[in-house]
Amino acid sequence: MLRFALTRILMALPTLFIVAVSVFVLIRLIPGDPAQLMLGDLADPASLADLRARLGLDRSLPMQFAIWFGNLLQGDLGQSINSQQAVLPLIAQRFFISAQVVLVAVLFACLVAVPAGVIAAWRQNSSLDLTLVGLATLLLSIPTFWLGLLLLLFFGLKLEWLPVVGYVSIGEDTTRGILYLVMPILTLFLHEIGVILRMARASTLEVLRLDYITHARAKGLSEGAVLWRHAFKNAFGPTWTLIGLVLGNLLGGIAVVETVFTIPGLGRLLVDSIFARDYPVIQGCLLFVAFTYVLVNLVIDLCYPIFDPRVTAE
Amino acid sequence: MNRIYASAFALATSALVAGPAAAQSVTVAVAADIRSSNPGVNRDDNTDDFVLQLVEGLVGYAEDGTVGPLLAEKVEMSADGKAYTFSLRKGVKFHNGAELTSADVVWSWNRYMDPKTEWRCLSEFDGRNGLKVEAIEAPDANTVVMRINAPSALFLDALARTDCAMAAVIHKDSLKADGSWDKPVGTGPFKIGEWKRGEYFTMTAFDGYASPKSDKRDGYIGLKKPLIKDVKFIVVRDPATVKAGLTSGAIDMAEILPSDVEELRKNPKLDVKIAPNAVRHTFLFQTNDALIKNVKLRQAIAASLDMTELVAAASSNLGTPNNSAIYPSSAYFGPVEKQGFSYDPAKVKKLLQEAGYKGEKISIIANKRPTVPSFPAAVVAQAMMQAAGINAEIEVLDWATQLDRYNKGNYQMQSFSYSARFDPALGFEQFAGPKDKQPRKVWDNAEAQALIDKSMVISDKAERQKLFDDLHKRMIEEVPLIIYFNGLDVIAHSKRVRDFQPWQSKMRMWGVNLAN
Repeated sequence: MLRFALTRILMALPTLFIVAVSVFVLIRLIPGDPAQLMLGDLADPASLADLRARLGLDRSLPMQFAIWFGNLLQGDLGQSINSQQAVLPLIAQRFFISAQVVLVAVLFACLVAVPAGVIAAWRQNSSLDLTLVGLATLLLSIPTFWLGLLLLLFFGLKLEWLPVVGYVSIGEDTTRGILYLVMPILTLFLHEIGVILRMARASTLEVLRLDYITHARAKGLSEGAVLWRHAFKNAFGPTWTLIGLVLGNLLGGIAVVETVFTIPGLGRLLVDSIFARDYPVIQGCLLFVAFTYVLVNLVIDLCYPIFDPRVTAE
Repeated sequence: MNRIYASAFALATSALVAGPAAAQSVTVAVAADIRSSNPGVNRDDNTDDFVLQLVEGLVGYAEDGTVGPLLAEKVEMSADGKAYTFSLRKGVKFHNGAELTSADVVWSWNRYMDPKTEWRCLSEFDGRNGLKVEAIEAPDANTVVMRINAPSALFLDALARTDCAMAAVIHKDSLKADGSWDKPVGTGPFKIGEWKRGEYFTMTAFDGYASPKSDKRDGYIGLKKPLIKDVKFIVVRDPATVKAGLTSGAIDMAEILPSDVEELRKNPKLDVKIAPNAVRHTFLFQTNDALIKNVKLRQAIAASLDMTELVAAASSNLGTPNNSAIYPSSAYFGPVEKQGFSYDPAKVKKLLQEAGYKGEKISIIANKRPTVPSFPAAVVAQAMMQAAGINAEIEVLDWATQLDRYNKGNYQMQSFSYSARFDPALGFEQFAGPKDKQPRKVWDNAEAQALIDKSMVISDKAERQKLFDDLHKRMIEEVPLIIYFNGLDVIAHSKRVRDFQPWQSKMRMWGVNLAN
């Protein structure tokens, strides 16, 4: 198991290197640089030259890459051009905020969507199935920003139950912190229910059609035992993979939800940095996102044997 | 029963969210976080706005864009125009309780002029852009003398510039022991509070503040009394969330979109205030372009635009057309500046014929930032131009890319906004100049440049007015750009906030009071 994990991490290194080079080059291919943005229309040549020199943008691209990559190898992602904060702690701080929203939302979505998907498959074509599938499709179709605004209007403005603006960290004040997180979590939770329920239903349906399920039923096993002991365990694999992809994707950025609910998370940091051409932060964020994706999927792979003993690390 | 539970829940959560000090504090939503608290260093407009509530310079802008004394009691210019003597106001204290002296002014100035400080305006005072401060002296504790290389009508204006943070006088305690920046210990009406990056920044009233002697607020000078205990600026990017925050009462004050004015005006808990500022919304022409260099074509485009309709559409019926580089409340905005382009479809046809225009495509670059009317104005202009037989097409870019194209002069036409400049000479200088040295410049005309240069040296107001009138007439004739209206500060605030008045996109919080 350890060897497998190490091999997978080593295999991720070339991926991360390619991401590093691509991000570095691509962001510089986009017209505009941070010095121009900082000075705006007041950019006289002397000020622009001063600022470019100060930010190290007057050096050649290979030189800039060599400096950045050299620092990266020492675990230093550089300093934000905008806020002048060190990039790594900045990312860690923002990631923690995004992660608590994403992990809670996905956990609750799994707890609801997986059983619902299995039940929908079990009662295929019944009114319950049609209702669940219809609901999942509806939730999947609603853009998260719109869903967020609807929740904001309903719970924030109409009922006045939840705060509409601001953010308080849970570490600072647990109760207020939770209140500020309810709506963003609910938004993601509702959206991800749609994604996971459909996959759980589809994979369960496939398994329910297999011969060994008919055999289990022929043996006289109860429907509950057939469903949970035999069907679910085998059907959960694809859903588990999807959960991994969803997690990796969401941990990398929920900028829209963060913008609507004024949460200072990683997604908003990345989007703001792109608009500000804050190169070190963009590079750091994207590299971190790629690493998170690799890590989450590794964890997902390592968990497979728990659900399906036929799968081994070897 | 359900209703009782719901009300109890609402009460409990709002008590948890509001906090105890809400009654004495004001929450202001801003679209972006500040970049730093270091005056004039790592800055943007948003940063300047906050920092200039904490620190002050020797001189500052008045409401009409003229420059007046702020930390200085009076300013005297020598006969040769090369020495300025600033007599400091007595009794002015820094936030740490220390009294302001001329030594602080000299120390602050020398710090700004040290390249290590990375002051945004170093090149404005070290001779690279013409003006050079050759010496600064402190003959006594209350007097500072600054000597410059040549007479300049813009020296005080440059000192007052907000992007230069008014060359604010700060105390040595603003720096850490190792000389690095800590926090601003200034003389402003507010002291810096807490700054949680990406979330909020706060300031508290400075009890020991000594206001300039005046009976009313006047730009950055005049009466400056901090009447609110705490002000919290929270970063809210989404305009819809800002609206929800204002409606719920979580936000007391915020800049809103012109399109939201009508809706928020109907809210009995809110007031909406609108004031024009010195930002100029324009269409730029690249006069080096093979097609656009034809002045008849540019005149035809100008005549094809119905300014009243264009401005109404771009500002949700809130703005008024202004084709001048000088903003309407400026001391230099006279009868000549009121004359502008006139909508004349018949003239367009004639001009297009004279220009030999054969329907070639004209690209208008625009961006979709919500803070400027770049895109909506481009859409309306495109329709008007097309109706007049001009083949206009819009190219939407992100702001950074548009700015890059602007700096390189790589465009035919742009829907672009110039940031505020109060002195007309600087307003014209923003877009006039030699394109071979600065491709971003729009109006490359030696005669116009000579007039601008002259206006930067002459101090006499009447003489300067003549120069600006002449420049305005030439600009309307040559059409290097079309200025169509000035920016608008559109602020919505809770009715418990009293006496707030928007001015030049600055959230001045001094003089602002609370209803209870």
